[in-house]
Amino acid sequence: MARVGIPHTLAYFLYYPFWKTFFEALGHQVVVSSPTTREILDLGVEETVNDACIPIKIYHGHVASLIDKVDYMFCPRLVSVRLHGDFGSETFCPKFLGLPDLIRLTFTKAPPIIDTRIDLKKGKKELESICVEVGSRLGNSSQESQAACKKARQVHRQYLALLRQGTMPPEAMEILLNGAKPASREFPPDGLSIAVVGYPYAIYDPYINVGLLNMLAREKIKIYTQDMLSDKILNREARELPKSMFWYFSNRAVYGGLYYMKKANIDGIIHVTAFACGPDAMVDRLLEIEARRHNKPYLSISIDEHTGESGVRTRIEAFVDMLRYRRDKA
Amino acid sequence: MKGFLGVDVGSVSTNIVVINENGEVLAEKYLRTNGRPIEVVQEGIHEVGRELNGEVEIASAGTTGSARFLASMIIGADVVKNEITAHAVAASAVVPGVRTIIEIGGQDSKIIILRDGVVTDFAMNTVCAAGTGSFLDQQASRLLIPIEEFGNYALKSKNPVRIAGRCAVFAESDMIHKQQLGYNIEDIIAGLCEALVRNYMNNVGKGKEILEPVIFQGGVAANAGLVQAFNKYLNTKVTVPPHFAVMGAIGAALLAKEAYAKKKGTNFKGFNLRDIKFVTNSFECKGCSNACEVVQFFQNGELLARWGDRCGKWELQTA
Ligand code: SF4
Ligand code: SF4
Repeated sequence: MARVGIPHTLAYFLYYPFWKTFFEALGHQVVVSSPTTREILDLGVEETVNDACIPIKIYHGHVASLIDKVDYMFCPRLVSVRLHGDFGSETFCPKFLGLPDLIRLTFTKAPPIIDTRIDLKKGKKELESICVEVGSRLGNSSQESQAACKKARQVHRQYLALLRQGTMPPEAMEILLNGAKPASREFPPDGLSIAVVGYPYAIYDPYINVGLLNMLAREKIKIYTQDMLSDKILNREARELPKSMFWYFSNRAVYGGLYYMKKANIDGIIHVTAFACGPDAMVDRLLEIEARRHNKPYLSISIDEHTGESGVRTRIEAFVDMLRYRRDKA
Repeated sequence: MKGFLGVDVGSVSTNIVVINENGEVLAEKYLRTNGRPIEVVQEGIHEVGRELNGEVEIASAGTTGSARFLASMIIGADVVKNEITAHAVAASAVVPGVRTIIEIGGQDSKIIILRDGVVTDFAMNTVCAAGTGSFLDQQASRLLIPIEEFGNYALKSKNPVRIAGRCAVFAESDMIHKQQLGYNIEDIIAGLCEALVRNYMNNVGKGKEILEPVIFQGGVAANAGLVQAFNKYLNTKVTVPPHFAVMGAIGAALLAKEAYAKKKGTNFKGFNLRDIKFVTNSFECKGCSNACEVVQFFQNGELLARWGDRCGKWELQTA
């Protein structure tokens, strides 16, 4: 049995249930880092090359916090999760592509890194072969890995189903992996609905976005994110743009934003952007232009290591006030 | 007479106003926060009370600004509102139908876009100093010209010098350079005003649709040179409201008035705030590795509020 470390950020928010199930089915123990804390952020900022975006720095912090606790670090090279034959050819942003190398160079004392390349475009059976490769590094047979992969896929499907129903990732994981009961939420009939789009590691990490979703939840606002939409819906939006923008997570945010802009029941769009993210400069501008075209209120919140809670709160409060006044007028 | 109190506490200035039922300003105070918000609010409220001479009874009170929560604990506010909404409310009262609000204060600047009386878009800059009053303050003192005179110098300029205004540091070195080249001071100052306006438009105003009427408010609106520079840049005539420096506080007072119309009664603790002892202290929570700096707020030794915790663990249910 090996202890496999999974950092609590980046792809974690979409794929943790899959990999946790997979590793456990093989008889290994999964160690996940704690949600981002100040200590993790500080560690990350200290360790990472200076010009990295803040999410990559945070990833380094999570890795640093796991180093002494695991036998393997799970840091796959995420290239594409587009299925073979699926629409779209984009890959993950270059920083994801080089992540295992960054980690290896930064942490010379790190345990062995499982850096399997994940590129599902390659073929129908690609996910299975990836699982077999990962399993073999841990001493598991192909048969074992294939069985574990099957099980993990099932869990992943259930996970996606929960997200599509409007459950947020942390809660969906609790329900799926720990048998928690879904919380019942009451929304006032005349309450607001806001779509929050952005990278999963920006919108679902309450430390780095200073509790943005919580601020909205306290106002009894119904929150939608791009991850509640099926691939089919997102792909439809993709076709409306003259050109795809290459990076997978960026595109999801764009397509999700475009979709919600056209929905009458959505009062406004919030885009959470990561400081020093190259792709985001474009994503944000595109969303802003489109939002104006659709006459949908739009707020962009940029997060970095110094983001102050009060600045974000002021913007959110003002945005919510604005939506309420707008609604009262209508 | 009934009055409505508005308090706007920011990092640079603390503004206090009292308005009557018609929204007219009965008293106004523009004070430096100087890192001592509690004392400044206490003193300021006391002075306002003295000026009003017992003739006004506060029916409702509101706070705004980055320290709005702290301010509300001190005075006992009925409404606590963010500064965007407060500024928009105040500007709409002065110029009904206003469609653009330019607000430049000591430490930050904002733009608010309204259509049909409703805020439709806004942006704030709290990072870059080149678009705020402290930048002008600095340059004024570098040039040994009182800031109050700045505008007059600018107005005398016939030929403003182009100064790189991208950021405060560049602007300063470029200005020194232009001085050394022998440009006259009026043209340099006018150039600075134009640089600040360009900077504001490129940062805060980026991508915003600026339509008339335009209101220019915040402490910096006192500067006639900037007013002129905005007029020139926008090719319009911006309106500077009479109480331009305290518009946030007026907005808070108007919101307090609105709240009073719905629900009578106030939490306001009275003008004698000086007699109450407010203390804050802070500690580092060891509950998890976030190590939050938790602030505690005491009134006469009684714990009234806590904030600064990321998880809500230290939150007090205050009535
Ligand atoms: S998409 Fe942006 S934020 Fe995400 S890893 Fe790439 S550069 Fe960083
Ligand atoms: S207040 Fe909460 S989040 Fe902050 S250090 Fe304590 S336990 Fe952690």
